[in-house]
Amino acid sequence: MGEFKVHRVRFFDYMPSAIRAMAFNSRTERLALARADGAVEIFNFADHYFQEKIIPGQDGRAAEALCWVGQRLFSAGLNGEITEYDLENLKPKYTVEAYGGPIWAMSSNGEGTLLAVGCEDGTVKMFEILSERIQFQRNLERQKGRIISLSWHPSGKLIAAGMMDMIRIFDAETGHSTYRLLVDRGFGPSRCKEVVVWSIAFLSDHTIISGDSAGKVQIWDGLTGTLVRTHPVTKWDVMALSVSPDESSVLAGTSEGTVIQFQFITATMDQQDKEWVRTRTFKNHSHDVRALVHTETAVVSGGMDTQLVVRPLLDKVEKNTHESALHKIAFPHRNLVCCAKKAGLLLFQFSDHLELWRIGESDGHGKPGDSLPVKRKPEKLIQLKRTGEHHICSSALSPCGGWLAYSTLSVVRLYRLQYNDNDISITKVSKLPKELRSVHQLCFSSDSSKLFASSSHSSVIVVALNQLECKYLHTLRPKSGSVQPVHLLCASEDGKWLATASTDCEVHVYNLCKQKLHCTVPVYSSCPTAIGIHPTTSNLVVAYADHQIFEYSLIQREYTDWSRKLMKQGLHRLWLERDTPVTHITFSSKNPAHIFMHDTFMFCIIDQSLPLPEARTMLYNQMTLRSLPEHERLRQSHAFKICKTFKHLMCVRLLEDHSVVVVERPLLDIMSQLPAPVRQKKFAT
Amino acid sequence: MARRQRGEAARSSSGKLTDEPSLTLPDSDDEAPEEVTFEDSKVEALRSMKQALDTARRKQKQSEDEAAKEETGEQKSKKKKKRGKAAHTRNLKGNYTVTMLKDQLSTSFQQQTAEEFIQSRLYGPGSCRTTSNELLSLENKRAINKSAAVQFVKKEWACKEKAKAEKLKKRWIHKQQIPPC
Repeated sequence: MGEFKVHRVRFFDYMPSAIRAMAFNSRTERLALARADGAVEIFNFADHYFQEKIIPGQDGRAAEALCWVGQRLFSAGLNGEITEYDLENLKPKYTVEAYGGPIWAMSSNGEGTLLAVGCEDGTVKMFEILSERIQFQRNLERQKGRIISLSWHPSGKLIAAGMMDMIRIFDAETGHSTYRLLVDRGFGPSRCKEVVVWSIAFLSDHTIISGDSAGKVQIWDGLTGTLVRTHPVTKWDVMALSVSPDESSVLAGTSEGTVIQFQFITATMDQQDKEWVRTRTFKNHSHDVRALVHTETAVVSGGMDTQLVVRPLLDKVEKNTHESALHKIAFPHRNLVCCAKKAGLLLFQFSDHLELWRIGESDGHGKPGDSLPVKRKPEKLIQLKRTGEHHICSSALSPCGGWLAYSTLSVVRLYRLQYNDNDISITKVSKLPKELRSVHQLCFSSDSSKLFASSSHSSVIVVALNQLECKYLHTLRPKSGSVQPVHLLCASEDGKWLATASTDCEVHVYNLCKQKLHCTVPVYSSCPTAIGIHPTTSNLVVAYADHQIFEYSLIQREYTDWSRKLMKQGLHRLWLERDTPVTHITFSSKNPAHIFMHDTFMFCIIDQSLPLPEARTMLYNQMTLRSLPEHERLRQSHAFKICKTFKHLMCVRLLEDHSVVVVERPLLDIMSQLPAPVRQKKFAT
Repeated sequence: MARRQRGEAARSSSGKLTDEPSLTLPDSDDEAPEEVTFEDSKVEALRSMKQALDTARRKQKQSEDEAAKEETGEQKSKKKKKRGKAAHTRNLKGNYTVTMLKDQLSTSFQQQTAEEFIQSRLYGPGSCRTTSNELLSLENKRAINKSAAVQFVKKEWACKEKAKAEKLKKRWIHKQQIPPC
């Protein structure tokens, strides 16, 4: 059953972008994250840290600061503009020029009525937050140096601003600077360089905590304007600070990759007075930590090593449970690789270009685990650069390899590919229907005659493909009036069904022959991460962010018996404790009872004809089964056959000749191309 | 009037002296030197100062004119080039042209300076940085079974360094083989 020829692909040079800023919305439990290439991502912390939304970036528009105001998200960057995002249509709503030069910091007051931005020209500009836009109100007293960091006092009456060599406290009503706190420069050679106050926090008891480029965290008394305590924390810069919601704990992120916690506690048992004491040090990053968020129960950090790390604090969660485990999110929870099953082609999506590759061939045979000789090497056929300033949002390749499409926030492009012996020609389809605009997901039908594109309000646009032209057919809309974007699109092999999943956890199935909504899967509490339609039984298989799997019969419009059996027995504990969500579901034409799925660390074949694993049995039993004699194996097998040989998986697909394509991106290859880390002198190296 | 008389008197007296063919100074010590009044010297001084100022002004004006000519010449050639790119050019009276440049020039310059500031603070001199290879090789060097740096362990990495190391190795072996004979 389980012998496959595996095409092990490691030539996808995917490079994630560094994390520049983060902001947490405690009411909706969403984390907004801004990357160096300008992309903004939203993670749902209440749903297993699933990456719900990605707003692609734009050239020259990286965010330096992110800020939630209620449900609205604002960002400001070095291009001097403040942007508000439309989270339902995944694009910037509008931008406002601040006219102060590059913006370094942004913060909103407690009530959500004012937005303060710190600019290069030394002004702190106040913007009024209105219902549909923001409006410039006034400037605070202009200073001689640039404003690098900002923090409002919770009362909204004072603002602390970190600048070069000093911190200024402003009265928000009069706009005048009341105190000037001078920050010491570093020792030795760094004495001649100005010290930059990279981050600052203003607490309700008027304590100001600052982190600077000389590597110290300083505690100041904002009422008297004096220094209370200095904590030299690192030799390099302290780049980020974050205060817990109850103000009892502060985190400082350094260029070394460490996050240091300070807690407001009594230093010794018998003392009455509380003070800020350095308690824990977390080393979860190899490169600079540029952004930090202190939630009630966890430390969320991100930086130049591009990984988002969530470290739950062990004094706030139960120890040794799945809840207290460290989470590292290194890869997007989306497919960046498209595979043309019939043609053996792979399409790699980068932010600024697409690459089309033909996978190699091998004639040899061997034992399981052998490396077969390569007869024909994989070759790059096309490298297609995008048009416009916006980064590529989604891309698709038709199963026959004859059509290629990609979309950005401003354009949608469709190309016809023709293969003549060893030559390949690419022709752009010039006149696209005007309905094909601001499209989030693209998907070709299995016979390559139609292109499906998800648009605003969870609708799907269907266009017909014909030789060299493209005609609009119709738009499919759900009944529920959902406004959230569609993030998953799947067309069935027989061309009859189209399934969509949106970020408000709704899964809709459309009948393509009748051109209308067929059914809606009962709403589940978690967001779907992958969907697939079985080619013969027409069963819809959905994998959710909480690792549950459901199978829904489209013909009977109810869950299948197998799915009910699985729900009743429950999934194995180790399956539910996996770190990464399933990103693709596919089926085998040779074995209709098999469901293929994969996440970043494993790929799994679920055999519906075998019994489900019990809670006490071993889940990863492939190695033991191999060592058992033939008759024993059948007794001990269970439905979940998991292979953990290949990491980190970006794509696993089944080709028509029943070989498996596995696209891996080793983390080491990514790390070797990151910017320079700090030099730490270790003994004996 | 008095000045004129004195001036004339002075001139006439100086004229007398020079008319004589033999330029012998008067012998008598009793004769006082020529009386050059304060007024005269003041006039003389003012005149020479005015002359100097005039020449300076003239020279300045000359150089300004030259510079202006050069500039208009340059601008014209620049604008001729820009005319190809920007559609917003207008010819005004005389030799002047007005062109509307793209708005982003100044903002992108400021953005670039800001980015360079961060870059120099984090990665510039004095920042004590190392390479990714060194960071990843720490484990190899401190393990119980020590091995080489990651760039030599991994097959596809650092081909140039590997080739260099190979050459050095060959050279060293060659050197070791020669002395014994």
